[in-house]
Amino acid sequence: MTETILAVRGLRKSYDDVVAVDGLDFEIESGQCFGLLGPNGAGKSTTLALLEGMELPTSGSVTYRGGALPADYQDRVGIQFQATALQDYLTPFDNLKLFSSFYDDPISMDRLIEQFRLGEFLHRDARRLSGGQRQRLLLALALVHNPEIVFLDEPTTGLDPRSRRDLWDVVTDLKADGRTLILTTHYMEEAEVLCDQLVILSHGQTLLQGTPKALIEDAGVVDLDTLFLSLTGESLVTTQEVIE
Amino acid sequence: MKSAIRSLRRMKAVFIARNLEYLRDRASFGWNLVFPVLIVFALAVVFSGPPKALFTVTTIGQEALPELVKFPGVQSLEADRTKALERLSRQQTDLVLEVSEQSVNYWVNGNSAAGAILETLLQYTEDRPLERGETDGQAIRYVDWVVPGILGMNMMYSALWGVGYVVVRYRQSGYLRRLKATPLTKFEFLSAQVLSRLLVTLTASSIVFIGTNLILDYKMVGSIALLVLIALMGGLAMITLGLAIACRTESKEFADGLLNAVTFPMLLLSGVWFSLDGSPQWVQTIAQLLPLTHVLEAARAVMLDNAGLTDIALHLAVLVGFCIVGMGVSLKLFKW
Repeated sequence: MTETILAVRGLRKSYDDVVAVDGLDFEIESGQCFGLLGPNGAGKSTTLALLEGMELPTSGSVTYRGGALPADYQDRVGIQFQATALQDYLTPFDNLKLFSSFYDDPISMDRLIEQFRLGEFLHRDARRLSGGQRQRLLLALALVHNPEIVFLDEPTTGLDPRSRRDLWDVVTDLKADGRTLILTTHYMEEAEVLCDQLVILSHGQTLLQGTPKALIEDAGVVDLDTLFLSLTGESLVTTQEVIE
Repeated sequence: MKSAIRSLRRMKAVFIARNLEYLRDRASFGWNLVFPVLIVFALAVVFSGPPKALFTVTTIGQEALPELVKFPGVQSLEADRTKALERLSRQQTDLVLEVSEQSVNYWVNGNSAAGAILETLLQYTEDRPLERGETDGQAIRYVDWVVPGILGMNMMYSALWGVGYVVVRYRQSGYLRRLKATPLTKFEFLSAQVLSRLLVTLTASSIVFIGTNLILDYKMVGSIALLVLIALMGGLAMITLGLAIACRTESKEFADGLLNAVTFPMLLLSGVWFSLDGSPQWVQTIAQLLPLTHVLEAARAVMLDNAGLTDIALHLAVLVGFCIVGMGVSLKLFKW
């Protein structure tokens, strides 16, 4: 029996004249991998920030297990930001130690080091890590306190195919642990592989919502990218990304 | 109790992380130590010659001044009695005059040859009755006077830029946003930054102080404990000022501008390089609004005049005021 862990009702967020999120409604089940898809500027990151409790909505609401976000919400969620700098000159070991100390009952560092395969670069300046190593470290930092909900904002953007696949394995493991995962991506293949439920966003509004399989079958297309192309006339993956 | 322990644990973690970042940045760390030492030695060399052959007379009031002050080679400036006698005891002036229509009161330093010459000249040229006073005290070399200024300047740069600029860099890079997503509170984060920078500032100042004193043997007649207290309060005042500047600023360029706007007046008006005794009153009034002025006046009073706690209490009180306002503004306005 699944339970709704987060629910969004009439969610809206605007910055001066710019409306970033425009009336979203959806629910996220506990233990699910929930994907927010859309091209750059669709409102994915803003929606994620509202779900994380990092931003307050202009109107509408985000509820946690049927109520307002609790005071200790930050203890229950782990966040991997799209672009996060860490302190200069600190190693992955220093960072794990620092972030562990923020929580009362953190996961053991040895377990995180093993789970995210940080050992080979544990004492290297974090600024000198490769993209994939850095993402693994950021994910470990997001999970240091064993949160029940994990937010991943475009975790594979800028990674080479090998690192991207590595990260998919990590996310699959997290899903197997029973955590609720909420991720944004503009890679359709990634969404198809990882997500149980999807919301496709465009200009801050919901274009489509459902399981990847149902969305593809209902539209009679071969994949999500084709579906998105048929809906909006634009591809989710930019020409530059295809070249990369 | 449990929550206080939790807070202390988080503050300690951020404190250690910031210290590691600073210590591993060898270029900045080295420069913080080397730069003030270089300046002290450069000034010691430049100003190591004999003092200029110029008489200086400090007058209390400007009316009915004797002919002596108009003599070629005599420079005069005005000050209140306390300041004037303080200058005399340091041999920064050779004669102090307090004049009325009926009489002339004057003070000389018993250890000053220039004072004795001026006294003789005064006795020959003045018709009014003369009333003599005497102080003592050894001459102060420029290096004795400027060392507190350089230590204070170094503290100012280290405190303001080391906190202000770093916090803006953290914000611009998204690191503060990452910390916001943890249970770390604003108070814990800001307190850790203050303590970390205070440790760095006090350590660097102590190393420079001891190192340069071993070689230059500058004057230090007062209490080391008081000097440490001044450094502590001065460091805190300037660190919290840096935090207040950085509490909402998002651009490093803008932070540069704001930090320069604060440091430049202090560099000019707080008495780092030269005394403001002869400057207009409004300039001296502005100087009193700057924390570095109070740090330097208190430090010089302790180092050169053996001032006690009560003598520098007002300066310390002003610095405490700066700390309270700076930390209050930072906590109120801080944005991750």
